[in-house]
Amino acid sequence: MIIFRGLIPQMAVIIAIATATGLFWNRQLLVESWTGVVKRSVSPPLPTTHRLPLPLGMAQVKELFDRGEGYVLDARDATTFAGGHIKGATSFPLGEFPSRLPQFLKQVPKTMPLIIYCNGYGCHDSMDLGKKLIAAGYWEIFVFEGGYPEWRGAGYPVEGAQP
Amino acid sequence: MTQTVPNYLALTIRTILGGLFIYAGWLKIADPVLFAGSVAAYKILPPFGNYLVAATLPWVEFLCGLLLILGVRTRASATIVLLMNLVFTVALASAIIRGLDIDCGCFRQGGPKTTPWSALLRDLLLVAGTMVLLRLDTGRGDRNVAP
Repeated sequence: MIIFRGLIPQMAVIIAIATATGLFWNRQLLVESWTGVVKRSVSPPLPTTHRLPLPLGMAQVKELFDRGEGYVLDARDATTFAGGHIKGATSFPLGEFPSRLPQFLKQVPKTMPLIIYCNGYGCHDSMDLGKKLIAAGYWEIFVFEGGYPEWRGAGYPVEGAQP
Repeated sequence: MTQTVPNYLALTIRTILGGLFIYAGWLKIADPVLFAGSVAAYKILPPFGNYLVAATLPWVEFLCGLLLILGVRTRASATIVLLMNLVFTVALASAIIRGLDIDCGCFRQGGPKTTPWSALLRDLLLVAGTMVLLRLDTGRGDRNVAP
């Protein structure tokens, strides 16, 4: 017990000196982080395996669609979109990503699940758009790989299609 | 004379442990923002807490490492090192339980990844080493400890 009576104050002094030095040394950083203006991002990039859009089959997409969950994005260009798209989908052409992103960020919260599609299995725009939206901070990104052709072929609700 | 062998053992453990903590502390002192990111990856503390830990913890590691190598206040610094290692062990275990696939953030930040499992094993090894040191070193080097 005698040793411990000396030990704990010693430990306290060591920790106090180190902590005070650290606080002083990093005072600028601490003020910045307290006021919320740290120049660099706090969260390190997560492993890429966790940061890829998740492919979904049509049945799962239909289920989300029926429940009204998720925000459906059409990655094809605007003309193709006008020629027919999944009912309720929003046009977000991959090629216009930089110009459209600021408005999109304002409208859609980052926690909103996004379902992205384009012209089916041969089309990679939906996957590429998904990756970009992940990089922009969106968390739940699904890619409907069958895309518009599969959806229309199944007779599910579409908009703007030519009769 | 019988004290010689334990003394050398204690000196060896002190040097290794001290060197390790000086190294670990120094790398983090050099880039506190990166270290704050590593702390944040554990998802244990609020954002400001991550910065607070990143600002202070490396200095505690560094100072304790220095004292261990110098043989000054050995028991006190070894006990702090022991406590820190126990905290790290708990944090790593919780990361494993929650299935977080993160870098341990123990030494070089943002370098090759050390998985929580291997970091946990290394931590337990350090805990064992520190406990041996605390047993061997009865505080003779500590001038302020009561006899």
